[in-house]
Amino acid sequence: MSSLKDLQESFQRGILAGDDTILAEIKDSAKEDRKMLFGVYRHAYVARLAEVLADDYEQLHAYLGDAGFARFAKSYIAAHPSDRKSARDFGRHVPEFLKVDAGFNKHPELAEIASLEKALADAFDGLDAAPLKLARLAGIAPELWTKLAFTPHPTAHRLTVTTNAADIWTALREEAAPPQARLLPEPQAILVWRQDVTARFRTLGSEEAMMWDEAAAGTRFGVLCEMVATFGGEEGADFRAATYLKDWVDMESLADCRLLP
Amino acid sequence: MAAAKPPFLGFGLGLRPQHYSEILNGSPAVDWFEVLSENYMVEGGQPLRMLDKICERYPVVMHGVSLSIASTSPLDLDYLTRLKALVARVNPKWISDHLCWTGVHGVNLHDLLPVPYTREALDHVVDRVSQVQDFLGRRLTLENVSSYVTFGQSEMTEWEFVSEVANRADCWLLFDVNNVYVSAYNHGFSADDFLHGVPRDRVVQFHVAGHSHEESHIVDTHDHPVCDEVWDLYRAAVAHFGPVSTMIERDDNIPPLAELVEELDHARGIASEVLGAPQLAAAE
Repeated sequence: MSSLKDLQESFQRGILAGDDTILAEIKDSAKEDRKMLFGVYRHAYVARLAEVLADDYEQLHAYLGDAGFARFAKSYIAAHPSDRKSARDFGRHVPEFLKVDAGFNKHPELAEIASLEKALADAFDGLDAAPLKLARLAGIAPELWTKLAFTPHPTAHRLTVTTNAADIWTALREEAAPPQARLLPEPQAILVWRQDVTARFRTLGSEEAMMWDEAAAGTRFGVLCEMVATFGGEEGADFRAATYLKDWVDMESLADCRLLP
Repeated sequence: MAAAKPPFLGFGLGLRPQHYSEILNGSPAVDWFEVLSENYMVEGGQPLRMLDKICERYPVVMHGVSLSIASTSPLDLDYLTRLKALVARVNPKWISDHLCWTGVHGVNLHDLLPVPYTREALDHVVDRVSQVQDFLGRRLTLENVSSYVTFGQSEMTEWEFVSEVANRADCWLLFDVNNVYVSAYNHGFSADDFLHGVPRDRVVQFHVAGHSHEESHIVDTHDHPVCDEVWDLYRAAVAHFGPVSTMIERDDNIPPLAELVEELDHARGIASEVLGAPQLAAAE
């Protein structure tokens, strides 16, 4: 008789690796043989995790279609046995998997659609924080603005895509036919965050993306304005920087501001 | 761990995100909700906001699926710490999980896997329940699972095993009526023997659910309405155990809330027929 530990290890190998050693510990029922009965667990493992992936990567599923998604799910489940208590974490390696797996990496839009879906899912139940309000900024004396630094909302996450993954995602979300996948002439910056209870994303122009990244790193507003001037030209640089900042406040992607010495 | 038996809460439903707005904007005839612990072990956002609102309005119990109480791998302290934090937030009437294991060596198979009914497994589970109860500072409630295989090494019946765990570890039981029906069919035992084999004073909750019939076996899928045979067993359970907090458990093919409330009314009707409306009302 196997110890409980040996039995559980054998049972797990039976599910993950198709090893039949466990069958010696199991009895046929009056109506069914043991292999078929153990198969209920084998089938359930793959089916349940495929369902988790389909829930978490809804637009990737729509893009690949049922058969393509099933092929992806089978490969991913075999490559990444679940090692977290929450099924929600199971798909966290999907973007990287699609990027490197030989069966999928010839279509770079797949990993990028998945990255966007994962970032949105992470933002959905990420940390809460009250957004920075315009009234707070309005209360700061104009001469102090150059010293202002900003804290992004804790759910804010920056991505860069090289394909039109964002357009594909948007079309699929609206249940429209997605555009043909293509490489973009320039990489595209995307900001993902949660506004109230809704996870959102927005594409950023290269100047705005540069300023966001610097602001998120704690660079003060005076320096941000100088960087914008260098990036896109001095004329109207302060106005452009102030407009970007107002947009971020309006869309609630910032959580706080502080005055640096 | 001296603590009075939790109160009879009446007739509840599993809280599902599809129903958040219907619950909060209406007043469905639901006495309490069961929340899936793992779904709320998150940092923020809508799930926790909805949870807080539900907790303000209804009694809530917590139900987990990954405690893995019977696993031979060490207890997951990180999971228990997060569970304890959620308990502090929710203040549930009780906390339940399943008498099963979900994986070893850090793997989670996301299934409620069966235990051989041996002395060795019994000692192991009793010890683990005691550890978890000490950590949480409160009693656990354990649920019998549906199973599809019988181990040759089992030395006792499932209900003997379940009863021994409850009595020795001093925990409560969640009597899943559907799981008893499913396992009785799959293994050819009498559901009535199970029903009469567990200690009445330990049972604090019933689950009632639907399943998928595959002729040679039944799979516990929670994706169908409750069938007549399970309602019959529920009737017998109410007659035997008396007023026990009852919940309809639906995890897939989730219908509009009204449909589940209707099923819940059916349970209420059965309990009322069996116990008499005054006794049921007095228990609530």
